Amino acid sequence: MTKWDLFPLAAAEEARVVDDAFRVLMIMSVPVFTFVLAALLYAIPRFRKGGEPAGDGPAIHTHGPTVATWFLATTALTLLVIVFPGTTGLLELRHHAAREPDLVVKVEGTRFFWKMTYPQQGVLSVTELVLPVGKRVRFEVTATDVVHSFWIPAFRTKIDAVPGLVTTTHVTPDKTGSFQEDSFFRLQCAELCGVAHSLMQTPVRVVEQSEFESWVAKQVPAPSS
Amino acid sequence: MALLPLVRGLSLGAVGFLLGGGLAAGIRGLMGLDPWSAEPVIVVGYVFGLIGWLLGVGLWGTWAREWLGLAPKKDHVHDWRRYFRFCTDHKVIGVQYLVTFMVIMLLGGLLAVLMRVELMQPGKTLMGPGQFNNAMSLHGILMVAVAVATIMGGFANFLVPLLIGAEDVAFPRLNALSYWIIPPVAVLLLATPLMGGFDAGWTAYPPLSVINAPGQTLYLLAFLTFGISSIVGGMNFLATIITLRAPGMSWSRLPIFVWSIFAAALISLTATQFVAYGLLMIILERVAGTSFFNSAQGGAPLLYQHIFWFYSHPAVYIMILPAFGVVLEVLAHFSRKPLFAYKWVVGAFLSIVVLSFFVWAHHLFTSGMADYLHLPFMVTTELISIPTGVVFLAGLGTIWLGRLWLTTPMLFALGFLFNFLIGGITGIFLADVPTDIQLQDTYFVVAHFHYTIMGGEVFAIMAGGYYWFPKITGRMYNDRLGKLHFWWMLVTYNLTFLPMFWAGVQGMNRRVADFPPELAGVNLFASIASFFLAASFVVLVYNLVVSWKRGPVAAANPWRARTLEWQTTSPPPLENFPAEPQVMGSPYDYGVPGSVHSRPGIAGGAQEVKHAQG
Repeated sequence: MTKWDLFPLAAAEEARVVDDAFRVLMIMSVPVFTFVLAALLYAIPRFRKGGEPAGDGPAIHTHGPTVATWFLATTALTLLVIVFPGTTGLLELRHHAAREPDLVVKVEGTRFFWKMTYPQQGVLSVTELVLPVGKRVRFEVTATDVVHSFWIPAFRTKIDAVPGLVTTTHVTPDKTGSFQEDSFFRLQCAELCGVAHSLMQTPVRVVEQSEFESWVAKQVPAPSS
Repeated sequence: MALLPLVRGLSLGAVGFLLGGGLAAGIRGLMGLDPWSAEPVIVVGYVFGLIGWLLGVGLWGTWAREWLGLAPKKDHVHDWRRYFRFCTDHKVIGVQYLVTFMVIMLLGGLLAVLMRVELMQPGKTLMGPGQFNNAMSLHGILMVAVAVATIMGGFANFLVPLLIGAEDVAFPRLNALSYWIIPPVAVLLLATPLMGGFDAGWTAYPPLSVINAPGQTLYLLAFLTFGISSIVGGMNFLATIITLRAPGMSWSRLPIFVWSIFAAALISLTATQFVAYGLLMIILERVAGTSFFNSAQGGAPLLYQHIFWFYSHPAVYIMILPAFGVVLEVLAHFSRKPLFAYKWVVGAFLSIVVLSFFVWAHHLFTSGMADYLHLPFMVTTELISIPTGVVFLAGLGTIWLGRLWLTTPMLFALGFLFNFLIGGITGIFLADVPTDIQLQDTYFVVAHFHYTIMGGEVFAIMAGGYYWFPKITGRMYNDRLGKLHFWWMLVTYNLTFLPMFWAGVQGMNRRVADFPPELAGVNLFASIASFFLAASFVVLVYNLVVSWKRGPVAAANPWRARTLEWQTTSPPPLENFPAEPQVMGSPYDYGVPGSVHSRPGIAGGAQEVKHAQG
């Protein structure tokens, strides 16, 4: 994490796409914000009268070139953010999602905990989400009672867990780390689900492949279904 | 007895409730179910109770008697007691709305303060997470109601007929109905804590809203009833603006505030039905065991989210379009210059109305809806920044080269531009799908919508409130206190909500009673700032109350503004104008030599006689 990053920690390939888009939008916002603010800060002291003005201002109803310029400029800016970073970022995320996953994790939200099943490994965990670094993971998310939302801030990924529906999201963690080091490594419920909603979180740990395998070996076997 | 109508309304309401509740219990008994199940009894009891309340409070005497061929009773009360009756004068109804929603705003603000106390530090501070969720949900719906109804119900009622030179709205009795249906809404919402509260937020997503405490049912009934008021109000304003404009008040001479109400009314008439259906479906889930949203029985939780936002996104334009109208109105009169690019602004309002119906699914980017819907909804949502940009163009173009009179309302209108600029720019981050995936459901969203609705609309409400205070009350507010209120609120408002963008980016999700310890600093800062923000309302309330009672008597037109409401006395007489005014030109022709917006009608003149005979 460099000093200038707005987000504290990014630990997945997909997170870079999101952060890049955020950065581009920040950079575009600065001139727009500054322009309007400068116009206000110039106009207010420049044109104010101390108290009730005696006469009227000039009868300018509109000014074609100004309106046309403004309209074209705002339209151009809007189209720009739609295309870049909006559509380009979206396509990039789709591209990531289209790749074959190395690992599938089934995630099930129930008030107020998450259950992670690793079907390829045949294990399940409710205390911790452990992932190997550098591997493509597909999360298949659902819920048993109410709507929850699967959010891992460090991965910039979020998808609702909806009863009766399996939603998917794809992540390639590219940095090891754990909740103990940074709270961005947490699986947090992001959709209001009841009394303990804010506490519905599970630590996330990204480890080397070998460590992942030894963790798997120690887990409870998942009931075959 | 002054409060007789209220007593009658409450008594008939109670009778209705008992009748309805008994009916529900009886039917349940006949069906072999437990007769005294709370929620079905309350729902049916409430429907009958609501009808009883309305009949008792005045609907029977002034209206329903006609349905049976009886002559309606005329109410001859002209003093303060009007405000506690089923009065059809749009100005009385406007004041009823304004005072009611001012009180609701203060209550909602109090809840916000309690929430900020809880969020001063991680862990439990004051309330537990359960109470926090209830407080947050109640704060949400109270403030949504304030945002929907303060301008549309309050200012628009008082001012639209005046601004178009009419005597009243098109359907005065419906207008009174749209107000008197609101006290039951307030009662229901304030009663929710007695029944376990409701903790599903104002959005009430099922299945949570189907399985939580019975307080949820009171909430659903309240919101549904409030929706009826919105629909009726919207229809009334459309009819009024289309049919009751004074001679000469062509569409191109309509004050921009009236245009903004016209645009917002189009939305509230046509979109509100959808949320009503959504809420009704949840009520049926709870009391009749239907399965619209129960996936185990083939229902779909996502269905509700689409229906809900199909109304609730357009609803934010019911809030913000009238705010644009107030702000542009104030900017033009206090710059003493024509409203810049008037026709473009009208076009912008109407295109926002159309676009507002095609953007709802941007609330669902992370909901699990089909991926191919992301792109089109991102495009439509971002297109709204073009008409919004036109509003900024009009604002800046109007003050440019003007003769700015920095009164309290003018300061609030300028403050609106600053706050809404931040609210608008941060909206782009939420409309762009890649950034929204991370920011959705975080404090970034909380900060964004408070910038548009509180920094935006509430500042516009303040601008309008101070601007029209002398017209509504006939007295002038204290200008020094008004300016103190402005600066105090502008600074503390920004200190409260600007850090919330940061908290969101730093990983604080919304609607939480607790947060990671790293976020302690930013939350403590926002909490302390919010207490100072709350204190600024003490200045406002003191100023309003004292000035209303003892302020200097206001002239008919203290601002030398050209629009019609200022061409009659403050406050205006019952019939608004001695005779129907004649509109001769644009309301904004400041600086145009010899231009006139209106000419007073001549009482008993040809026009008046024709009108009286007509």
